[in-house]
Amino acid sequence: MLLATVVLLPFLLMLLPAAFERLRLPPALGAGLVTLAAAAPLAWLGPEVAAGHTILFAVPWVPSLGLEVAFRLDGLALLFVGLILGIGLLVVLYAHYYLSDEDRNGRFFAYLLAFMGAMLGIVTSDNLLLLVVFWELTSITSFLLIGFWRGAAEARQGARLALLVTGAGGLALLAGVLFIGDIVGSYSLGAVLAAGDLIRADPRYPLVLTLVLLGAFTKSAQFPFHFWLPHAMAAPTPVSAYLHSATMVKAGIFLLMRLWPALAGTEAWFWSVSTVGLVTMLFASYVALFKHDLKGLLAYSTVSQLGLIMLLLGLGTPYAELAAVFHLINHAVFKASLFMAAGIIDHETGSRDMRRLSGLARYMPITAALATVAAASMAGVPLLNGFLSKEMFFAETIEVTQWWSWVLPAAATLGGLFSVAYSVRFVHDVFFGGPAEGLPRKPHEPPRFMRVPVEILVVICLLVGLAPGLMIEPTLRLAVGALLQGPLPEFSLKIWHGFNLPLLMSFVATGGGIALYFARRYLWALHDERTGWLSGKQITESALDSLRAGASLLAGTLERGGLRLSLLAFLGASVAAGVLAFGATWPVATVGPGAVPGTVWVAVLVLVLGTLATVVYHRERMVAVIALGVVGLVVSLAFVKFSAPDLALTQLLVEVSTVLLFLLAMYFLPERSPRDCSDLRRGVDALIGLAAGGGVGLLTWAMLVAPRETISSFFLEAAKPEGGGYNVVNVILVDFRALDTLGEITVLGIAALGVVAMLDRIRLPERALDWQGNPWAAQQHSLMLQVISRPLLPVALIVSLYLLLRGHNLPGGGFIGGLVTGAAIIIQYLAWGTAWVEAKLPLRHLALAASGIALAVLTGAAAFVFGAPFLTSTFGYFTGPVVGRFELASAMVFDVGVYLTVVGIVLAILAGIGRQHGTAERT
Amino acid sequence: MNHLLVAPLLLPLAGGALALLVRGLAAERIVGVMTSIALLAVAIMLFGVAADGAAATYDVGDWPVPYGITLVLDRLSATLLLVTAVLAVAVAVYSLGGADRRGRHFHALLQFQLLGVNGAFLTGDLFNLFVFFEVLLIASYALLMHDSRPERTLAAIHVVVLNLVGSVLFLVAVGCIYSAAGSLNFADLAERAASLPPDRQGLWRAGGWLLLIVFALKAALLPLGFWLPGAYAAADGAVAALFAILTKVGVVAILRTGTLMFGDLGLGPVLFALALMTLGLGAAGMLAARRLGGLAAHAVIVSVGTLLVSASLFSAAGLAAATYYLMHGTLATALLFLLADRIAAVRGAAGDRLEAAVAIRGRAALPVAFVLAAVATVGLPPTGGFVAKVAVLEAATEAGRAAAVFPVLLLVSLLSIVALARAGSTLFWKAGPGVGEDTEPLQVGGKAAAGFGIGLLLLAVGLLAVFAGPALEHAEATAAQLLDADGYVQAVRASNLARGGH
Amino acid sequence: MEALFAFGIGVLVAAGVYLSLRPRLFSVLLGVTLLSYAVNLFLLASGGLMAGSAPLTNQPGPWPDPLPQALVLTAIVISFGMTAFLIVLALRAVSERGHDHVDGRDTGDER
Repeated sequence: MLLATVVLLPFLLMLLPAAFERLRLPPALGAGLVTLAAAAPLAWLGPEVAAGHTILFAVPWVPSLGLEVAFRLDGLALLFVGLILGIGLLVVLYAHYYLSDEDRNGRFFAYLLAFMGAMLGIVTSDNLLLLVVFWELTSITSFLLIGFWRGAAEARQGARLALLVTGAGGLALLAGVLFIGDIVGSYSLGAVLAAGDLIRADPRYPLVLTLVLLGAFTKSAQFPFHFWLPHAMAAPTPVSAYLHSATMVKAGIFLLMRLWPALAGTEAWFWSVSTVGLVTMLFASYVALFKHDLKGLLAYSTVSQLGLIMLLLGLGTPYAELAAVFHLINHAVFKASLFMAAGIIDHETGSRDMRRLSGLARYMPITAALATVAAASMAGVPLLNGFLSKEMFFAETIEVTQWWSWVLPAAATLGGLFSVAYSVRFVHDVFFGGPAEGLPRKPHEPPRFMRVPVEILVVICLLVGLAPGLMIEPTLRLAVGALLQGPLPEFSLKIWHGFNLPLLMSFVATGGGIALYFARRYLWALHDERTGWLSGKQITESALDSLRAGASLLAGTLERGGLRLSLLAFLGASVAAGVLAFGATWPVATVGPGAVPGTVWVAVLVLVLGTLATVVYHRERMVAVIALGVVGLVVSLAFVKFSAPDLALTQLLVEVSTVLLFLLAMYFLPERSPRDCSDLRRGVDALIGLAAGGGVGLLTWAMLVAPRETISSFFLEAAKPEGGGYNVVNVILVDFRALDTLGEITVLGIAALGVVAMLDRIRLPERALDWQGNPWAAQQHSLMLQVISRPLLPVALIVSLYLLLRGHNLPGGGFIGGLVTGAAIIIQYLAWGTAWVEAKLPLRHLALAASGIALAVLTGAAAFVFGAPFLTSTFGYFTGPVVGRFELASAMVFDVGVYLTVVGIVLAILAGIGRQHGTAERT
Repeated sequence: MNHLLVAPLLLPLAGGALALLVRGLAAERIVGVMTSIALLAVAIMLFGVAADGAAATYDVGDWPVPYGITLVLDRLSATLLLVTAVLAVAVAVYSLGGADRRGRHFHALLQFQLLGVNGAFLTGDLFNLFVFFEVLLIASYALLMHDSRPERTLAAIHVVVLNLVGSVLFLVAVGCIYSAAGSLNFADLAERAASLPPDRQGLWRAGGWLLLIVFALKAALLPLGFWLPGAYAAADGAVAALFAILTKVGVVAILRTGTLMFGDLGLGPVLFALALMTLGLGAAGMLAARRLGGLAAHAVIVSVGTLLVSASLFSAAGLAAATYYLMHGTLATALLFLLADRIAAVRGAAGDRLEAAVAIRGRAALPVAFVLAAVATVGLPPTGGFVAKVAVLEAATEAGRAAAVFPVLLLVSLLSIVALARAGSTLFWKAGPGVGEDTEPLQVGGKAAAGFGIGLLLLAVGLLAVFAGPALEHAEATAAQLLDADGYVQAVRASNLARGGH
Repeated sequence: MEALFAFGIGVLVAAGVYLSLRPRLFSVLLGVTLLSYAVNLFLLASGGLMAGSAPLTNQPGPWPDPLPQALVLTAIVISFGMTAFLIVLALRAVSERGHDHVDGRDTGDER
């Protein structure tokens, strides 16, 4: 439980600095308190771990996936936790003085705390999936921290670059972890570490190793994934000191240390890890020589030192692991202090350029002394901590037999040489030499407490260097023991081992490095003549740019292909799927070709001609509409022929309304469509049309020639006895499948609503001349139409009501009745004009439609009263005065609702468009 | 008879009608929000009902199966009703901040849209599904055009025409299926499918595949999804957030019909391949997007692709991952749309275009919400998106498809990270001269409303992450139930038995 | 008879699809209408074709399959609503751009 507190406290109290800010207290104080609070439990936990126990904590999160919130604190984790919290506290203190007033706010420290928590999570995670969770969290928080000074383009770009590279690594790690989980059967670290042999023997081992290494290398900025780190230097220096020297970049190394029992020990591990480490170490330390920016030099130096540690990890022997851990600690200490010193220099002088800085020892002697000690540790000067771990490194390179026996030590010496060179440069160019000219600020010592963190770290360098056995050996034993999960190698942390090869290598490195330093200008001159470095950042960014351009092209072409492309894709897919799916299984024809009466032939002929006319003349809009009407008529006749009277009536009335709609709209549309298409396009479209037509035709034929048994027999039998009507279709509509009808009238209502809304404030051009150039008649309304329409309305109303009422037993029903009424009223509009009709017949069309829907719903809901489901109908027989015995079904009330809705929407839509004729502008 | 099952249909219908009848924006708002909250309460209760075990059914009109229309509430429909309801409340409340004033009848249309969506999830009848699809479509068209802005017209034309042709195909499919099997009820069709005479199988298969294509159109699966980015990006932000559920209707229809009736048609491999390609196109679109709205629209495509990659495995693990991801993805993409809307309003003339414009000062909540939304959309930890991604990857490994799924899914994730990081950096970090003029200045109440809407979605996404364990278990039960076609049939038939019928 | 019926539907579908692919919304409207005629006939056919009867049980049988007829009726009405919506969309397009090209480009000769 306490363990969980250590990790989760920074997250939970992330906003405390912001709260402090509100209270006019320094947010850094809040952050510092949280860090201390998180460290407090270690007072109890630490000794336990030191005594050899491993502390575990587990709470399930997603059991189905094997992901649980599990933490483990052993020697290795304790070491890292100590580093994270310890250096974190120092960084908080430092940041308080480094950041300007507006920057040192709650937001910065919140991000910092979040990062701290994520980092703690990585090192204490006992579940590999959980580790990945925290891994990605560090990427996200580091993104926010690097881009903190958002105004600068380098900060933004640096942040995105870091996110891209470490994010990609994180995803690779996820894949690797998933495979490990699949091999081992669990993500729990205990199980994984014990299953090392299983993992190494699995055929997927190389893949797993590659993926995990990708994750580690990207996070720890190893070649060739190193390029994000120098660009991350755009972050505020406290961030660089914390993330990019001491903690986040160490995460990759931690991962490999943690997974060492599971993955290491194979040839693949040896060659891949050590090679990458070696190349990185040499490459980065070489490049560091050429950096003129303080932080740039330190960045490449960090990359190089990490390469060194990686190389040690790769060598795989327990002694090498020990050296790796030791150097990791030392590096964290001296590098953080160096970054802070660089920050101090920057803060107090306003410049980070080593070509401009000079002789600062005069102005800030204490800082100079501190920086010199730290740099000396970095260079491997005896009596400092860096020397000890470097010696161990040198010693181990000699022991290794797999490389040609001299390559490794030579490379190590070279690396050491470079590091001496750039360390000397750091100190000598900045602090010694003549006074600096033209610096933005007058250099002086920083505030007392800004220097304190550096002082503490440097003191540690000294103490560990002077008395390693006392200071560091217990920690080292603990951590390495946890890493190896086995016995520790023989080692001694004496300062003096006698004159041996490692010492010789150190001498050579030191001497050569100093010499190189003095020759630096020649080197720079040499370098400047060549073309610039291959910038990893540029490669990445141009790759991203081309990717984006390609994506734009792809997405753009497809999506701007217009309606046609979507339609073609859809139609193509349907035809293909339909044909392929249907296959070659034709139904056995049981209905033979009967005799076809002559009328049918005529009808089909008219249909085909009408359709062709519509197609051929589709650009002559008036002609096309007439042809369409003819086709619709034939369809109605087809319904009549094939025993569907209700359909025929509905089709006819809808046809009339649709044609009316077309005519009303055509007034505003251009009278002809221009010739818009190439012949090729028309050919393709025609082909698709024929394919679709053929397909559907064949399907129809397949449907028709074989009989089927359907559920309809029920409807036919039950319509009268249970539904109360002889017209089975109507009974189905308003009773058996009333929900469909309810949905349908809702569609109508919404359509009308949409139409009315769209017509609102529409500005349509009106014409003074018709298609042939004749002016419109001055008289708006036809006298003939007025004469006819007068008696038409009452007659139509009666007819429609009759159709409505008889619908349950004879062709008719709510739709048909409603359409008749609607049409009749529309004729009134045509004859008399909108204003006149609406004065005489003030109907709120949409309200009428809504009331129809409401009536239908209420009818359905009435069933609740009787405990029956929605839309259950009932019917009974009544005797009335004149009509005698008649039958009433509740479904008929439903039908009335349908009737009202249809009237309402027909009026709303047609009158709505018609109204535009009066109000349109004359052009 | 538990009338609760028909409440998800009646509530929005009544609420929508009422919202039309009352006068004044305030009254409309009250009706709209109250109805949505009531819907949420109903959805929660129905969720409880479904969690018990077998599916619950409701015979509309009290006609025996398969002659009437039956509503079926199983775990899948209950889950989707819940997600829809949460979305509805969030959007309804968010719109109080001003989005519902941009056009007419926003709240009424919102409710009608919900009617269509809920009906599509609940129905157990093929033609009824068609009708509810049409309700959903016409409501979405009306919502798209409800504020009558010129930039929407073209997108609306595309969507309407495409879906009209789609509806024609739907009916062709219905005709084929009815002719082949003689019924329209899902459960009945599932039973009849097993004993179809060989000469009817051609029609049956054709019908099944044609249905798949229609549903794929709705779900914006490649190569039928080109319409989506244009339509969603053209829509008003709050409307687009609501549209987030529409593609899922298509996906659920595919799952429902695929597991019940068309299991032998070999839909799986084709869906799988198409889903992978959809992922690729979605990622490309996210990279290339020039507006945050466009980015979010392509995020929808990516989420549909991920969903179908997992679901097309038609395995228990795959369907479970898909169900969980469906919950998370819908809410996350809706969140992104709402944020895009808010950001556009705050940035004035620059809208939500991804270019350096005025600084968004003094609003700490917006960037934080954006970061959270981005992390959730991409599927980075600790959000549910990460859990979902891991679940999908594990399901793929189990099905032996890891080689295809891993690279695509992980690459798409990386590209989404790049796209969203760039968007966030441009919108929030890169500031041009001047400070943003709020085109829709909110009073305190309005700001609270918008914040509440966004906050609700954030909360929902967060809860899905924290309670990922129980949620994933629920998803597994849903998947198991989905794969148990016989169970569905029996549950539907059970109402007949209770009635004393056959 | 069946072959003729299928032929008729095929012609309608072919014409409808061709017109739907045209670049002017008006022509698309024509095409969509033809398609809906076709699919209505198609649905009717799914129940089998029976001439000279009616689904009225107070008259002697045999009766045609009433269920597809109900479906067609619903479909006819729904497409009427959709068509109306589309027509008004076309009017909006004209009022905003002056033409009814489906992609908003009013070019003379477009490829």
